[in-house]
Amino acid sequence: MRTEVWLVIVGMALATYLTRAPLLLALARRPLPPRLRLWLRLIPLAVLPALALPLVLVDHGRLVASPMHPPLWGAVLVFVLAGLRVNLLVTVAVAVAAVAALRALG
Amino acid sequence: MSVLVLAGASQFVAVPMIAAGASPLAIVLTTYVVNMRHYLMAATLAPAFRGFRRPWLALIAHVVNDESFAVAVARHNPPDPWFYLGSAVAVGGAFVVGVPVGTELGGLVAEPERWGLDFAFPAVFLALVAVQLRRWADWLVALASAVVAIAVALVLPGNWHIIIAGVAVSGIAALVLRPEP
Repeated sequence: MRTEVWLVIVGMALATYLTRAPLLLALARRPLPPRLRLWLRLIPLAVLPALALPLVLVDHGRLVASPMHPPLWGAVLVFVLAGLRVNLLVTVAVAVAAVAALRALG
Repeated sequence: MSVLVLAGASQFVAVPMIAAGASPLAIVLTTYVVNMRHYLMAATLAPAFRGFRRPWLALIAHVVNDESFAVAVARHNPPDPWFYLGSAVAVGGAFVVGVPVGTELGGLVAEPERWGLDFAFPAVFLALVAVQLRRWADWLVALASAVVAIAVALVLPGNWHIIIAGVAVSGIAALVLRPEP
């Protein structure tokens, strides 16, 4: 593999370790202030939709939100199934199959 | 990558970015933001490892992962450290072995889009959000972040929308909302 790719991987490893180690080491003795704890709980709730929805609704810098866009229905399906606490793997498999089926029809 | 980083979600984001020739800084920053959730998990797990020596804690930090965290916290709170470590070793082992197997077999699937496989990635993230929505404010945060992210993604290239929406929306919400007990 190219050197640059290895450098990226080492950078990713360091960045990831930086998210894991400091608090585990520092807080093995005292608890976090409540507001910081709230922020930490909200970060994934903000990051995950920010990651997922542009993948579904934005294509090459343009908004694609038409009802003819299969991933839109896939996203709705994921939300409903996961909200009903259907197993994660089953939810994803069903949604992927639905997107494939809609593409085959469309 | 799977041994050194050991964080599937960020690796899924990074691989297409590497393939597309994205800037190394953007890839590392995105990895950091995607994995910021570990701060929360580490903070929650920390009290369970109170009696452990620092070199061990530094090593255990590398196996902080969503799945082990979820099962360990669901079973006991504060979690049982040995239960956690057992789960982490199983998850890490399966991941490190599974990746080369998948790499060998993956070539058999031509045209992943025809099978909807490109959608697997957003689907996993959406499912992970959906199971975390508890209070009405959680819905507000997720929705606001989605709107901001889409708006930013339409204007700025690359993956800045993830960092901007993720940090800004959660930060504002944490300042405005009342902390739970």
